[in-house]
Amino acid sequence: MPFLKDIEKYKSLSIVGLEKNTGKTECLNYVLSRLRDSHKQIALTSIGIDGENRDQVTQTHKPEIELSEGMMFVTSEIHYAKRRLFAEVIDVSNQTTSLGRLVTAKAIHSGKVMLSGPANNAEIIRLIADLKEKGVDLTIVDGALSRKSLGSPAVTEAMILATGAALSANIPQLVFKTQYVYDLIQLAEINPELKPKFRGIENGIWALDESGEIKDTGISSVLMIKNKKDQLFQHGTDFFVSGAITDQFLDFLKNQKQVDKIRLITRDFTRVFANPETYYAFVKRGGRIQVLDKTNLLAITINPVSPDGYNLNSDELKLALETKLQVPVYDVKKIVGANAVS
Amino acid sequence: MQFRKAISEIKGLQYLAEELDLKSPMGKRFLMDTDMFCSEAELNIEYGLLDQITQAVKADQKVISDIQSKLSHLREIRGSVDNLKSNLVLDDVELFEIKSFAMNCHAVLNLQKELKQVVIELPNLSGLIEILDPQNTGIPSFYIYDDYSLELAEARKELRIAKSTNGDSEIKLEDLFCKAQEIESKVREEICTKIRSFASDLEIAIRKLAHLDLLIAKAMQAIQLNFNRPELVKESTSYIGMFHPMVKHELEKQNKQYQAIDIELQKSVCLITGANMAGKTVVLKTLALCQYLCQFGFHVPATSAQISLVDQVLLSVGDEQSELSGLSSFASEMMNVSKMVEESKKHSNVLILVDELARTTNPVEGLAIVNAVADIFYQNNIRSVITTHYSGLNSYFRKLRVKGLDKDLGDKIITQKNINSYMDYSLVEDNTGEVPHEALRIASLLGISKEIVEGAQNQLNKKASKEEIL
Repeated sequence: MPFLKDIEKYKSLSIVGLEKNTGKTECLNYVLSRLRDSHKQIALTSIGIDGENRDQVTQTHKPEIELSEGMMFVTSEIHYAKRRLFAEVIDVSNQTTSLGRLVTAKAIHSGKVMLSGPANNAEIIRLIADLKEKGVDLTIVDGALSRKSLGSPAVTEAMILATGAALSANIPQLVFKTQYVYDLIQLAEINPELKPKFRGIENGIWALDESGEIKDTGISSVLMIKNKKDQLFQHGTDFFVSGAITDQFLDFLKNQKQVDKIRLITRDFTRVFANPETYYAFVKRGGRIQVLDKTNLLAITINPVSPDGYNLNSDELKLALETKLQVPVYDVKKIVGANAVS
Repeated sequence: MQFRKAISEIKGLQYLAEELDLKSPMGKRFLMDTDMFCSEAELNIEYGLLDQITQAVKADQKVISDIQSKLSHLREIRGSVDNLKSNLVLDDVELFEIKSFAMNCHAVLNLQKELKQVVIELPNLSGLIEILDPQNTGIPSFYIYDDYSLELAEARKELRIAKSTNGDSEIKLEDLFCKAQEIESKVREEICTKIRSFASDLEIAIRKLAHLDLLIAKAMQAIQLNFNRPELVKESTSYIGMFHPMVKHELEKQNKQYQAIDIELQKSVCLITGANMAGKTVVLKTLALCQYLCQFGFHVPATSAQISLVDQVLLSVGDEQSELSGLSSFASEMMNVSKMVEESKKHSNVLILVDELARTTNPVEGLAIVNAVADIFYQNNIRSVITTHYSGLNSYFRKLRVKGLDKDLGDKIITQKNINSYMDYSLVEDNTGEVPHEALRIASLLGISKEIVEGAQNQLNKKASKEEIL
């Protein structure tokens, strides 16, 4: 699989499922199995909780994550105690998560483990840096795209996206939804010089005026936009939105006469929570969205089977995605199966 | 009195505690749990240690910063040590923490040898390290090593071979894993039994390292802020060049100078008078702060100091939250003062500091209260300071007056911003019992509404002419 060569160029990689049961864990296990023979030190962690033996929601089979000898991993104390492998404790974090402190360990033997990790961006970034100092060449983050999560997989340098029948049982619909996320991941990064200006901002909508100064619009959230329309454009049409970019907000903006001049800047693509229809309408009328952190999408993996029994044609789905998107698409199960036969 | 409680009463103390560069979690707890020193001998031992560390900080900066780096890696292992003591089996994470703690402790022990003298004797934990580092790697990471048991090594080897051959069924692998895990648990139990004898040494080490951390932080703070070791005496407490570090820091931020003051407190009452904005309250708060700093083993903010230890510092500065208790500010002050009087009648060894006693009531009764309270402190030889604005204080009380504004300022324009540079904060002995009448002058300097100042001046003039007529 060619994307595995690319992986080695990066220091951090996230694997993200578009929906539960889109084969993220299988994808992760596959990536790990392929990295087994490389001489790189790999570490594995997760955003929040993952790796449960049984999926908590749908009770469908969910494979555990299989680590090979010498791999490092970071998980909470509670999950560490439930490990199915022998491992050496390397460090224990000072901060605690809801599942206890985070344990950094190295697998002495291959085996299975449940992963959990830091819950917000700053801590994920700190953890990746810390692991690098401990000699880790590549940190793999088991990520989730969640409205509720403060942690975003976009902080990693590279990403693999897992999609599948669980997202939609209809191929055109599945392609459309996947393409939307793909388009968001491709959102352009802003000028690096501007980035530090926005880093510390935690709330509100801020304008970037012509002289490059950032100004508070006085609007604390996109939800307040209805009452404060007049304030929005006082400093120009470039905005940094600290929170989520919602449907309502884009809907409002696309109907403004300045829409073709509007540029929204957001932390990363996971902050865009609008419906694809609204987003595309906004873009069609000339609006733009840019991000502080852009990640490199290496590949998309597909799981043609959905938990409620739909079974899509793997080749058809792969072809449909590949024609639309400029990124390699793989059915991991098929590859694993083929390998096992051969 | 514990430090924890003292900082809730004295803001200046809390400020200094927050500024202390403590590296370890136990250092912080140690400070909070510190009891006030009430014995000269004990405090002198503590000061002796602090002197040694201060010298080391000045002479061997490198070693001290290495020690601090080791201290910063310490983790709170109290829970694990308690588990160990109560015969529980520790998990790998706890064993890792104990191992890494022991290694850091050992490193500090060795680093201290590089100093002129070892300041804090640490228990030798090399026996513990040997057990937890069977391969003698010197790395703090931990697991139940194969070296502990041949049986475990065999079981793990078997599992590894089974995994790599791939032919074995899941159930077989699971069996092998469980078998190895079982042996591992047994070995872990044995290790815990072996290291149990180190539990009390670990407890001592936690306390000693915390103490060392605190001493280094205190020494560095004292050097940075120009604090000095006070001499412990029986009679008069006296300060030369005393300052309030927090106020000084604030003024320095505004490019202003802080005027340090000299003061001596005998075993009797002392009244401080002076104009508004003359720094009486700051004097009082600094006295409280210095007394606490000294008795918690810190150096004090003064060029030199002689301090007589007390069992208790009683302070009333009138900014307490009386609303919460449902009392008026007068009532809550009186309750507080009543407690002070009770203590003084017991001839307790206390330092009593009262700011603007009875300020919230009428001056006639107010003065009477001041004289009455001061009299009780006077009769009982209580080291005490009361600040007041009232004139007509009993003549036998010792009185200090803040010099205040220069009488002759010429045509210099004084504002709220620069009043500080024209105010002479030094204290002088004053036998008149008369209090300077500068309130109106200062009020007008502050630029408050002219109507108030002129109106008040008229009132005074009227009163004066009436008295003349009479």
